[in-house]
Amino acid sequence: MRTVAGQRLTVAGGLAKTGKWVVLGYFFVFTFVPLVWLLLSSFKTNLELQMKPFALPAVWQFQNYANAVRISSLPRLFLNSVIVSSASTALTLLVTSMAAFVFAREKFPLQQPLLNIILAGVLVPIIGLMAPYFRLINSLGLYDSLIALILTYAGINLPIATFLMHGFMRTIPAELEEAAVIDGASFFQRFSRVILPLSRIGLVTAGTFIFLFSWNEFIYALLLTSRVASRTLQLGIRFFVSQFFTDYTSMFAAIVLTIIPSIAVYVFLHEKIIKGLTSGALKG
Amino acid sequence: MIVRSGQRWLWIVLFLAPALVLFALYFVYPLGFVFVTSTLEWNGISTPEFVGFQNYLDNFGNRTFQYSIRNNFIWVASLGLVQIGLAALVAMILARQPRGWRFLRTVYFLPNVISQVAIAMMWAALYNAEYGAINQFLEAMGLEHLTHNWLGEIGTALPSILVQQVFYIGYFMIIILASTMSIPESYYQAAQIDGANVWQQEVHITLPMIRTILVTSMTLAMAYGLRHFEATFLLTNGGPANRTSVLGIQLYKMTSALDYGHANAIGGTLVILGLVLITTIRATLGRRASAAEGTQ
Repeated sequence: MRTVAGQRLTVAGGLAKTGKWVVLGYFFVFTFVPLVWLLLSSFKTNLELQMKPFALPAVWQFQNYANAVRISSLPRLFLNSVIVSSASTALTLLVTSMAAFVFAREKFPLQQPLLNIILAGVLVPIIGLMAPYFRLINSLGLYDSLIALILTYAGINLPIATFLMHGFMRTIPAELEEAAVIDGASFFQRFSRVILPLSRIGLVTAGTFIFLFSWNEFIYALLLTSRVASRTLQLGIRFFVSQFFTDYTSMFAAIVLTIIPSIAVYVFLHEKIIKGLTSGALKG
Repeated sequence: MIVRSGQRWLWIVLFLAPALVLFALYFVYPLGFVFVTSTLEWNGISTPEFVGFQNYLDNFGNRTFQYSIRNNFIWVASLGLVQIGLAALVAMILARQPRGWRFLRTVYFLPNVISQVAIAMMWAALYNAEYGAINQFLEAMGLEHLTHNWLGEIGTALPSILVQQVFYIGYFMIIILASTMSIPESYYQAAQIDGANVWQQEVHITLPMIRTILVTSMTLAMAYGLRHFEATFLLTNGGPANRTSVLGIQLYKMTSALDYGHANAIGGTLVILGLVLITTIRATLGRRASAAEGTQ
């Protein structure tokens, strides 16, 4: 425990102490109060929102949440997001673990240059590639489909996932694989029975990253889809303003519903999440 | 290692093929497309006409593009300097473990688990001139003269979007905090014995020790500034009078209008600016950190 060195209680020390709590208090208010305001407002009538903005709801309007689900097609948006995120994660992990296996455990000509080129993909600001992705998806006949998003998210995450999987597979000791070969394991079995099961932690790390990216992605969902049927949750939120029109408090209820899963996960796992982040930071 | 080499070759090709096809579709072809079509006058259907750097020149002469690139630099500076500065300040305070520091750390990080889109929608409601909490609060405090149509006025729109983003320090604060707390306790004890006050300890011990993580965070935040899109798109869509536009928004509008030449000149500008920024990180800090973090 670091002891505060302000034992000499000077005026400056007192000021610093006040300043410290002002800073901490400010950021607390900034991060927390808007969320509380949103939550409380989502239980009010629209009249209350205008007239008594900072009071508790007189009658808690659970009706708003029923409206939210009915108007915003939330179940559909959720389902689409789950499908897109899961499928793109699975696709990316499959493709990159196969490639990483060959890069990490085999020898062939042009191996290193090829790997370097793929890894250099992490340097490209993907937002700059809107026009070509738009054209690509159109010429594949995939515009406005979930497959367009699944494929695109897999493509975008290919370099980072290859980086993570290759980094992980490289560290698996060769002895394990050699033992399998002596036992008559084929090329495919070395991958599926030996290396892949040993790469579980790498798969989880890369998988979490890709899933979160796909869950939160907005720009390409916006660019590559148009119908409600192929909208993901993040894109759907954007249309709340026009869907709910002047029923603001029901719209707030819909927004609250979209963030509840993330907050629930965070409440249960926040120690783990923070620990994961910080250990990564220290290694970097 | 494997006996039948013909079969082994087949397997290698088979295992590499999906990744190479995907990489070709999403990196090789798009980058080629961006730089080639940025020199063409082309709407996707018409016969492409080679115009050299004309599209880039058109863009730089265009008022909206000028606002956009200026705003991108404002974003880069706000996130890279202001946000990281604030994150470091809070991290240094929390590293001394004041009462409730664990709780505060958890709360500060909370917005980072919520999507940008939901956060932006919440702020659209807070800033709303009609029912937004910010104006209502000012009115309740008797400060009616300070109320604004925050997102609709040229003077307040860009600062409003910036504030909404810059003060969410959680992500970088956590990373900097971890780095700060890993500094050995004995350094501070020694400094205390030598009579250094808290301020001197922070400046002469903490800052030099967390320099690497600060530079990484800064460059990472700057890269986010360059790619900024969501909050502006949802809060103002570049308005009023294009004063809050950024390159990403312009690129989106031109792509939707099928103006491939000018769109890809913006795309090319973004790719080049991004590469310059991130290669600088790699040059200063080595490959590992930037390769893992320079994604998207």
